[in-house]
Amino acid sequence: MAKESFDKEIQLLRLFMLTSGAYNRQQLADRLGLSVHSIDKTLRRLKDIVGTIHPERSITEKEFTETLRYRYYDTTSPILLFLFRAKSLKESESQRISTLVAAMNERAYTAMELLEICGNTLPSDAALPDEKTIRADVKYLEQVGVIRKESGPRPYRYRIDNDLVQQLTSDELIDLYDFVDIMANTQIPSVQGYLLREGLLKFIQRHEAIPAFTEPFLYKYHYPSRILDEAHLFTLLQAIHARRKVRFTYFSPKSPQTYTSQNTNPLYERDLEGKQEQTLPLAIIYDHQYGRYYLIGYSSRYGIRKFRMEGITQLVEDEPVEEALFQAKRSELEHKIQHSWLVDTGHPVNIRIRFFTPEPPIPNFIHERVLLQGQWGMVSNTTNESFIFEITVNGTLEIKPWIRSFGSSCEVLEPRSLREEMMAEWKEIRDYYAAVRENI
Amino acid sequence: MQLFEKIFNYQLLSRIEEQGAFMITSQERTWLKTMLQHPSAHEAFSPVTLDKLQTLLRQDATFDVSTALLEKAGSKDKHVYHPHLRTLRRLILRQTGVQLTYKIKDGRIYHEEAGYAYKLEYSMVKREWYLLWYNLRRRTLMHTRLQQIVDVAESSITPTQIEHIQSEIESRHAANQRQATILVLRRYNRELSRILYAFSCFEKDINYDEAQDSYTIQLTFLQDESEYILSKLRFLGMRVKVIESEHFKQRMYESATRALARYDETTTSEANPTS
Repeated sequence: MAKESFDKEIQLLRLFMLTSGAYNRQQLADRLGLSVHSIDKTLRRLKDIVGTIHPERSITEKEFTETLRYRYYDTTSPILLFLFRAKSLKESESQRISTLVAAMNERAYTAMELLEICGNTLPSDAALPDEKTIRADVKYLEQVGVIRKESGPRPYRYRIDNDLVQQLTSDELIDLYDFVDIMANTQIPSVQGYLLREGLLKFIQRHEAIPAFTEPFLYKYHYPSRILDEAHLFTLLQAIHARRKVRFTYFSPKSPQTYTSQNTNPLYERDLEGKQEQTLPLAIIYDHQYGRYYLIGYSSRYGIRKFRMEGITQLVEDEPVEEALFQAKRSELEHKIQHSWLVDTGHPVNIRIRFFTPEPPIPNFIHERVLLQGQWGMVSNTTNESFIFEITVNGTLEIKPWIRSFGSSCEVLEPRSLREEMMAEWKEIRDYYAAVRENI
Repeated sequence: MQLFEKIFNYQLLSRIEEQGAFMITSQERTWLKTMLQHPSAHEAFSPVTLDKLQTLLRQDATFDVSTALLEKAGSKDKHVYHPHLRTLRRLILRQTGVQLTYKIKDGRIYHEEAGYAYKLEYSMVKREWYLLWYNLRRRTLMHTRLQQIVDVAESSITPTQIEHIQSEIESRHAANQRQATILVLRRYNRELSRILYAFSCFEKDINYDEAQDSYTIQLTFLQDESEYILSKLRFLGMRVKVIESEHFKQRMYESATRALARYDETTTSEANPTS
């Protein structure tokens, strides 16, 4: 069987998240390079997953797309986490493994004893597993860290490895839940943290000593689709660690299509909109400004290039490179992004801005915001009315939206070109609202 | 390591839960162990608990992402944890009243104000914690920085009072709800992805007019979020235009006019730095 890829699901969910009901099925299909039939099938599968994880919310397909909309006060867990529960598993396998885990939750067993338990507990119509299957399951469960081999002579006994929760008091469990929740929401990477949070929450809700457990935390303004980017994160981190190249089909975010089905029959192969890329991953950058990840890679043909994680599909590891090459390119990159507001590796420019302090009694939130968000920039010449902010960045393109967000609380002094651009943009924006003036 | 593991499969998970078992994978333990290296772990746990967790995780690995994974354009972390967090969290869990002594912006201190705390909110933008609570004496919904809280104590409150406060919170949220409609200028459709990312942290409905190939974004928000949304609109600049919300249109017009006035006034003085 071909390796299961979730690119289709990821692209579909991202499109849903970002466009909140803007497209009908045909429009979605066009943008994803899929048939309407395939869209329906994928949606049905995703809906089933959500329905199984949250049986309390039995939902229709329409409600499913509704679920994906961002609702701040209702959202306590990331809506898209269910994607990571999508790996397919045969019915018989899921029955068997759950029986094994439940048994080892009680006490330690040998593989032969587990085989017997399966014989006694699995439904009579289910095909009974053989010893080899059980040994393979036990090996798998040990490998993913769910169970652990007890010390002692052969035959080995295995039991569930969940001391982490069993040995904590109920008060400690609350602290643990809070820590996991807070770190998953405020730090990266976060998917494993969200998975752990979900498990802990259900465990605590069953816990007698903690009645009426509530989730007290809210996180404001989160970028909900960022966890989709983490789907490729670990493959890329591994490739960086192993100094290996990767290959993928890349859809530039500027292209109207974001995915395309892999056609196995060459006769029907359409022109792919995506481009085949091969690159040596050097670093991954998380951009807090938009909640997106970038892959920075090197290839001898194109040099150092940036890819948006959302455009990467059909990612696979490729051949390794010499350590020396990786190190050389990595230090070249470090030098180049030293002054990147985000990922721009263009020429450094020195920018000087005067920020204006709000008039009392309004607190000086401008100064506070500049210190908080101004990265490595320096503040000087502070008076009661204003202060100067100076920063060297690669190009002005990436910092410009941030400067503009301050509106009339700042004035670009240098470089002249940026100053002129700002003036031109404000003129244009004023023209957008010229009708407002007539109303005053 | 693979995030799409069959052990995370949804049917398997729900079966295991039905049987009352709790499982945790080494990926989750590795994540936890990595996060415990963060300085905030010392504020999140008592030394005894932290030590216990570290012992329980001694066999596990940590992610080494510090060199490969970089972060850009983030706000400086003021704090991830705050010393009041654990106390307040427990008061919320116990559904009791609170008595707060806190500073306000001009430096004055309010002493032992009685209220009911219902949520703790972390601002990803300001990187600090806020307490959402209802002030019983003033009958107002409060949004107080944990940094400004001097002292917290428990106080009593009746279930009837809580019920009343909760319906009060709901009706005030409903009353404070606002809407605005934003048009993405068609010549910027190529930047649609970036524009939608910028709005992805808000509640919204998006309309696509196929004939015109144009997108409109209808935002739903609470009144006190207006300033943040305006800063996003200025952030996106010429790419977007407010088409519904007189207040926003007015404010955008004022911003543009005042910003231009800054440049007009100072062009001469900048050209001659000695003046």
